[in-house]
Amino acid sequence: MLRFGPAIGPVVIAAMPLFEEANRTRAFIVTVLRALADRGIASVLPDLPGTGESLIDTENASLNDWNIALSSLTENIGAERGAVHGIAVRGGALIDAPFASRWHFAPIPGESLVRDLLRTRLTGKDSADDAIELSGPPVELAGNRLSRTLLAQLKATVPVGTMPLRTVRLDSDTQAADRHVPGSPLWRRSEPDNDPALARLLADDIAAWIATCGG
Amino acid sequence: MLPDDNAEIDAAVRAVLRDVLGLSEERVGAFRSQTPLFGALPELDSMAVAGMLTELEERLGILIEDDEVDGEMLETFGALVRFAATKANQ
Repeated sequence: MLRFGPAIGPVVIAAMPLFEEANRTRAFIVTVLRALADRGIASVLPDLPGTGESLIDTENASLNDWNIALSSLTENIGAERGAVHGIAVRGGALIDAPFASRWHFAPIPGESLVRDLLRTRLTGKDSADDAIELSGPPVELAGNRLSRTLLAQLKATVPVGTMPLRTVRLDSDTQAADRHVPGSPLWRRSEPDNDPALARLLADDIAAWIATCGG
Repeated sequence: MLPDDNAEIDAAVRAVLRDVLGLSEERVGAFRSQTPLFGALPELDSMAVAGMLTELEERLGILIEDDEVDGEMLETFGALVRFAATKANQ
């Protein structure tokens, strides 16, 4: 778990995208959090169970585990610091926790995420035709072994819509948002990349949002 | 507004390839109808194909079924644009 920013004042918890997209966007997200720290906003970047440095195998992680872990972290930090705001990128927006406010960047329904993952089989040896049965061993998709329960849970989940919520998307994303910003989808690149200008723009947006939410 | 004329679709496909594969504007600008894609571009692996299909769906407002994806529509830039145009005009 990484922590940035001052010891007092508003705190943000960041939920990264899921699976390989986290690896591709970690540097970018850290850049956003550092920019937030420059604006006097502290942040926490946890590794959810089964991700990053967590000791739990990915195949044993479920969406419920993530909801519980993020909620528990939110409550603990809330007890120290007061209001805790949530920011999430891509599939991170599917995870629920009792934040004072939410800010989403490029959120997607779990169904799209699972579809994306299943699509990685299209050009490989495995058949993409197999409907993923609910019972069975973990499925290897795009380098991660995932439990079928997690896949089913993700398929049934849409980005958390609890208000107050602000959604920002890229210009190339045709879905509705409070704001569209220029940039390319870093979570799509095979090599991790960064966009410091976009990171600063998003940090400004987050800071302004938190200020309006009484942060 | 979703692109629906062929020049716009061509531009959208180039933009998707640029964004998903991390290629420069110059490089995608140089793609021609016969430019080979899958099998010729090392950046276009199975994850990149998946990402490319999803980005095309989102930017063109189309839906691509698994059974529509074959070697032929991925073989060249021209084939991919023709596929996208057909779907966009359906």
